[in-house]
Amino acid sequence: MTTTAPAGAAAPPQPPSATTAAPRRRRSLTRGGGLFVLPFLVVFALFLVWPIVQGLWMSLTDASLSLRGTEFVGFANYTEAFGDPDVWSSLGNTVLFTVISCVPLVLVALGMALLVHSGLAGQWVWRLAYFAPYLLPVTVVTLIWTWLYQPDIGLGNQLLTSLGMEPVGWLSDESVAMWSVAALTVWWTVGFNFLLYLAALQSLPTTYDEAAALDGAGAWRRLWSVTLPQLRHTTVLVAMLQVLASLKVFDQIYILTKGGPNGSTRPILEYVYDVGFTGYRLGYASAVSYIFFAIVIVVSVLQLRFFRQEG
Amino acid sequence: MNSAPPARGLPGPPDSGRPPAIGRRGLLRYGTAGAAALLAAGPLTGCASPASAGGASALKVWDLFQGGDGMLMDEMIAAVSRGSDGFDVDRTILDWGPSYYTKLAMSAAGGRASDVAVLHLSRLAGYAPGGLLDPLDLDVLAEFGVSEKDFAPAVWKRAQHQGTVYAVPLDVHPFIVFYDKDVADKAGLLDSSGHLAPMGSPEALLDAGKKLAEITGKSGVLFGHVTDTAQSWRQFAALYAQTGASFTLPDGGPPKIDIDAAVKVVTFMKQLFDGRTNPNNLDYNGAMAAFMDGRGGMIMAGEWELPTFRKSGIKHLGAAPFPQVFARPAVYADSHSFVLPHQNDPDPARRRQAHRYIAEIVKQSLTWASAGHIPAYLPVQARPEYAKLDPQSSYAAAGEIAVLDPPNWFAGAGGNFQNRMCQPLQSALLGNTSAESAVRQMVREADALLRQPNPVA
Repeated sequence: MTTTAPAGAAAPPQPPSATTAAPRRRRSLTRGGGLFVLPFLVVFALFLVWPIVQGLWMSLTDASLSLRGTEFVGFANYTEAFGDPDVWSSLGNTVLFTVISCVPLVLVALGMALLVHSGLAGQWVWRLAYFAPYLLPVTVVTLIWTWLYQPDIGLGNQLLTSLGMEPVGWLSDESVAMWSVAALTVWWTVGFNFLLYLAALQSLPTTYDEAAALDGAGAWRRLWSVTLPQLRHTTVLVAMLQVLASLKVFDQIYILTKGGPNGSTRPILEYVYDVGFTGYRLGYASAVSYIFFAIVIVVSVLQLRFFRQEG
Repeated sequence: MNSAPPARGLPGPPDSGRPPAIGRRGLLRYGTAGAAALLAAGPLTGCASPASAGGASALKVWDLFQGGDGMLMDEMIAAVSRGSDGFDVDRTILDWGPSYYTKLAMSAAGGRASDVAVLHLSRLAGYAPGGLLDPLDLDVLAEFGVSEKDFAPAVWKRAQHQGTVYAVPLDVHPFIVFYDKDVADKAGLLDSSGHLAPMGSPEALLDAGKKLAEITGKSGVLFGHVTDTAQSWRQFAALYAQTGASFTLPDGGPPKIDIDAAVKVVTFMKQLFDGRTNPNNLDYNGAMAAFMDGRGGMIMAGEWELPTFRKSGIKHLGAAPFPQVFARPAVYADSHSFVLPHQNDPDPARRRQAHRYIAEIVKQSLTWASAGHIPAYLPVQARPEYAKLDPQSSYAAAGEIAVLDPPNWFAGAGGNFQNRMCQPLQSALLGNTSAESAVRQMVREADALLRQPNPVA
């Protein structure tokens, strides 16, 4: 009710070290903000910890979306997953996407931030223009690009043919489709990394740069030897966030290509969705998810180690 | 963290006899609780309100009809809601596609599903055996004027599982062709009555494509299949059935498919969509746009696109069943039907109402036909008003030669089977692979699906 520790409340204000045993109990609950953290902990346990445990259990059963009872099947789902060519091909697609999207997402963002930071006129226009696509919902972005990628009337092929080049099967050529998805993703999300870089650039002390300039270092030398090393922490952060985000790719691919043509853009998460929700096999889908989960954790740990060593 | 020392928690002497004042934290605590109570109360009172259409007594109906179809369904529901014995319908429209079937399965598995739901007949084999659907009471249906004799046998057969009826078909919606009558006329493809003349052979359809392309100056026959998870399968299934061969999916595999016939069909599809007279790289929206733009004389599509084409600039729109080019007539189709999703503890009176609702709404299917669907309820098909619907009546015969997906739990609309069949077909049409290897991949994919443990049996 109103007071949980009357003794402490009645005592006159005094340094914490002099409090009695009763307030100490109370303090232990409130000092770390325990009560304030409690709602979060409840939500965390309910919506993250419990589903993780439940999912792990599910991956050891033949759980289905239909009414059938669930049976424990041990590691049968995992055995099946390791022998399933679709798991490997979709995993390969995910890795390919991660590689071809992360590199430009970091480099282009850095380039844009440097350009804007170099003192281009009309700063706010550039900032808005670079960041604006990030504000669009995935459905809108995908719709726009579906039309850009149209083989016949799309802007992409119109440009190519007007330059006398052969049209490209942006979404229909198995060797091109994933690159088209990556291009869309870069356009759409690069603004976020750009903002992180820009904020970092703006907070850099200018003294080193000035000193280097006085010593006669040219613009390139200063960029290479002064600015970029100072941005290292931001680069680590951007790269880590980006790799994790790219590994989790799903929505734009699901809307744009549904994983086609011929499965060439289907990421592992879409395969999980296909077997779990379209195919009702929740147990098997959970097993595939856990394999992927393990991979994501390994990648994160390796990345962390790698960057720590660099530092 | 920065929290105040606990000893200063509450202002004022605790022994003053007054009720303790509510402090900052108390306010926070009570305030949060109060806000939560207010939030919780909102939806609850909403549910309890008898005045709203979604009241507890209303019949809960789930469907997947959006856009034009959705508005027609609204009209039909309004028609059965009039009068003293009209229904109080609480309609939930869900996004069509795999997610609809996931939600339907989950609600039925939970035993608290809606009273009535829409299901593609091709999905019945994935729902009835697992107990996700409750059987219909044919006597009660007959009481309200709907019985077996009112439906085409091919369709009625698919509404059953092991002899028990689980669905009442609303329509048959085949994969057909739309064509620009003016273009087809100039290409000499119309018969004396102004309808598309029968083709009869693969060569005739190839030839028609060339002639149409000459007239439009662009393309002849259009077909959007790239990144689509159903279209190329629909086309393949129609043509394959025309060869007289059968495709079955016996549990445990392997799939039974006539490889030669399948290769013949895919080879023909590759010839037809050669990328010159008929483009082979269009996606669904691209093909639709091209047809409405006059960049093609004919399009292979579902009849449900009729309202969209009507609204476009095409002056004289024609429609015909999918052309017969092989030995026997056959068209690929599916059927929207009404089912009773499983409820753990159904109320008998509500169940009876659900039966009456299904019977009444099926009788309204003339409205439904205006969108292009063929009414499954034969008395509506027999009405003179239906015969007057053009071009709908010109493909009404498609219902009699309808071929649905081979029944199995994973097959049917929005299922994994169609998607996985489409991938190699798409690849073949795009010229990335040969007809033989596409068919080999189809067999492999079907076999992989059949070898999975059945989650609904």
